[in-house]
Amino acid sequence: MSLLHIILPAKLDYLQNFIQSLTRWLQQNGMTTEKIPRVELAVEEALVNVIRYAYEGQAGDVELRVGIADDQRFVIEILDSGAPFDVCALPKPDIHGSIKDRKMGGLGVFLIQRMVDELLYRREGDRNVLTMFICRSNGQFSNSRQDMHAGA
Amino acid sequence: MEIDVKKEGQAVIIALTGRMDAVSAPQFDKTVDDFIEQGETRIIIDFKSLEYISSAGLQSILALAKRLELINGTVLLSDLNGAVKEVFEISGFSSIFPIYDNLDAARASI
Repeated sequence: MSLLHIILPAKLDYLQNFIQSLTRWLQQNGMTTEKIPRVELAVEEALVNVIRYAYEGQAGDVELRVGIADDQRFVIEILDSGAPFDVCALPKPDIHGSIKDRKMGGLGVFLIQRMVDELLYRREGDRNVLTMFICRSNGQFSNSRQDMHAGA
Repeated sequence: MEIDVKKEGQAVIIALTGRMDAVSAPQFDKTVDDFIEQGETRIIIDFKSLEYISSAGLQSILALAKRLELINGTVLLSDLNGAVKEVFEISGFSSIFPIYDNLDAARASI
């Protein structure tokens, strides 16, 4: 089975290395073209969270694993060794306020949740593991989410 | 991301090309900071050639709008499409910004 596995320092300097490798791998493994930017977005948001917050200014690595979960879905895992941080437990941001009322921040995790079909967090030893499942094809996020639920 | 800027009458038009992500968004922040410091208050952002935006890009647009609101300025957005349009809709940004189908429509409203 084809697997993409990258470990690099948790720095913004390396974000493009992750994303370009991810895009190439998704293209080679049959992800539909219109879904690729959504996966890039989910992965960028997750990586940037680790880069900005996981190590509180100290050096550390971030690891990306991409593979095929089953005949319908890709699986992506993002791992770090920073402080425990369950992104799935964050409150939803208010997305209805005016320019003045809208708060800066909080959108990244919300976007991840909307881009993927399933999002899971676990603490494994001293590591945070964020797992995303993404259907190979299918159009809108809302439809694919419903399909997941219907099939569960 | 490529940033092309031109001044037209009272407005500054900023055309974005490529990807607005956590790496490139600060480049946009710097560009608009310079214009606001020079006294510009009317900004149109042309998204026609922007292919991708992440939350870092959204934050930059929101930060600009907040700053302009304090000085009675305005920011208009034009020609959002594809993945960028979708991210604006999902995040609720489509309903808080004046968005025009194309640059001419935005120009006519500034």
